[in-house]
Amino acid sequence: MDLKTEQQSSRATEQQDKKTTVLLFYCATALRTIFFVEILKGLALTLRSMFTPAVTRRYPKVKRPVKPGFRGLHALAKDGNGRMKCVGCGLCGAYCPSKCIYIYTSDGEDHTKVVDRYEIEVLRCIYCGFCVEACPFGAITLSEHYEYSDYSREPFYMTKEKLLSNWDKYFAGEKGRRYFRDFWRPKAEDFTGYEGQAVFRKIKNAE
Amino acid sequence: MDLLDSIFSQASVDILMKLGVIIIKIAIVIGITLLHVAYATYWERKVIGHMQVRLGPIEVGWHGFLQPIADGIKLFFKEDIIPANADKPLFYLAPVIFMVSALTSLSVLPFFDGFVIADINIGLLFLFAMSSLGAYGIILSGWASNSKYSFLGGLRSASQVISYEIAMGLSLVGVMMMAGSLNLSDIVRAQQQYPAGMFAVPQFLGFFVFIVAAFAETNRLPFDLPEAESELVAGYFTEYSGFRFALFFLGEYTAMLIMSSIAALCFLGGWTIPKFITDWFPVLLRLPAWSWVVIFLAKVYAFMFFYYWVRATLPRYRYDQLMAIGWKILIPLALFNIALTGLVKIWI
Repeated sequence: MDLKTEQQSSRATEQQDKKTTVLLFYCATALRTIFFVEILKGLALTLRSMFTPAVTRRYPKVKRPVKPGFRGLHALAKDGNGRMKCVGCGLCGAYCPSKCIYIYTSDGEDHTKVVDRYEIEVLRCIYCGFCVEACPFGAITLSEHYEYSDYSREPFYMTKEKLLSNWDKYFAGEKGRRYFRDFWRPKAEDFTGYEGQAVFRKIKNAE
Repeated sequence: MDLLDSIFSQASVDILMKLGVIIIKIAIVIGITLLHVAYATYWERKVIGHMQVRLGPIEVGWHGFLQPIADGIKLFFKEDIIPANADKPLFYLAPVIFMVSALTSLSVLPFFDGFVIADINIGLLFLFAMSSLGAYGIILSGWASNSKYSFLGGLRSASQVISYEIAMGLSLVGVMMMAGSLNLSDIVRAQQQYPAGMFAVPQFLGFFVFIVAAFAETNRLPFDLPEAESELVAGYFTEYSGFRFALFFLGEYTAMLIMSSIAALCFLGGWTIPKFITDWFPVLLRLPAWSWVVIFLAKVYAFMFFYYWVRATLPRYRYDQLMAIGWKILIPLALFNIALTGLVKIWI
């Protein structure tokens, strides 16, 4: 009997407690609504952010430093003798998802392949960098240059000459070497095949 | 000779002199107000920019200080497009009504003691009348544009202004009761009789209702439903371009300036400094008369800053919420405030 009444009374006080907490909760909510606590919090936030320095970068005056490996305007690499590295194999054009690389080759002396035209429609390029990865000789590259807007379409149609001059403009000296070392080192350079595998000329065989 | 005599008699010269003085005053007030309005836009963009961790206008002139002038020149030279099916006379008339009603309100505002174009006894009523008249400009522009966005904006504005006009009028009744006058200069002088020096303290309920109603009256966020960009393109002035658009824009900012001025005059003590401050710093009593206008402008700009601050903080209310706030909260609150003020006035 005693136990039961005790339980009942404890349950009653529990219910009473619950009621008071609910009541307090409603009171607090009502007070918060009346005094716009949330709006005031929002106002405090905007006032605080007014005195924090702006994150704006004033673009043409302050340029964002380009991170290494940036994929910008295309360039055709030159080797140490200033000759074009491209041999006209056409792998880049075959890989290109937007099919914007056009390569025309012809038979030269001693049946060597001569690259007559190497053209990229830059407006269709999606800058995925697959051409760079596909190239066995590190001949096609993407430079850090990205400010090449213009008023007509013609300047965006890159011919071989333009692409080669891009190399001189954006990859002169150490930069080109560093890019070659870090980003465009052809897969062939590090590839090790098994004995007797049919491979490009420069590939090492596994010992 | 009689005619000439009558023209050059002392009385008519006096009248001409008075007219001249009034015209000069009007020119000064309109010129300075329009300049303030131009720089109110600049200041708004700056404040909101920094609140959103941006810079705001910064390229034109020193810290973008010439931006409003550049904007004005650009608007002036823009093509003036009128929709083919617009109701042309009303289309021409609407921005003029809007702008004129905003500018006319300036005539009863005392900028400092004694400097008011028309010191009329019903100043406050006149301001209400003019702000309601401005709504005609909005509604007519919505109708005349013959565009659904404009029309919706105009309709929304009509119902919003009607709803909040009541709340605003009632919120200022408390002020009228305490001051015993509708003349704005008298209201300012009456506030000096009270220890707080401004009606914002004893009339805090009225002040709150007034602030909310002022936001709704001037179609500012969070009650900018008549020109809700995300729903109605630009609301009632969607079809306006060039200088007509500029008139709407200027009118809107002038209306903001006037609402801020009413707040400063009726609740914040106008050009006066509260008595308890002058008791601490008696030096302030010896300030020259021209500095009163600086005090008045400081109060107006503090209120304008509040406008911008709220705009940077709050999102837009839903339309039914807007109506519910107006009719179910603000009007009962304002009525309660009137009853309270009356009872206190009787007992004390």
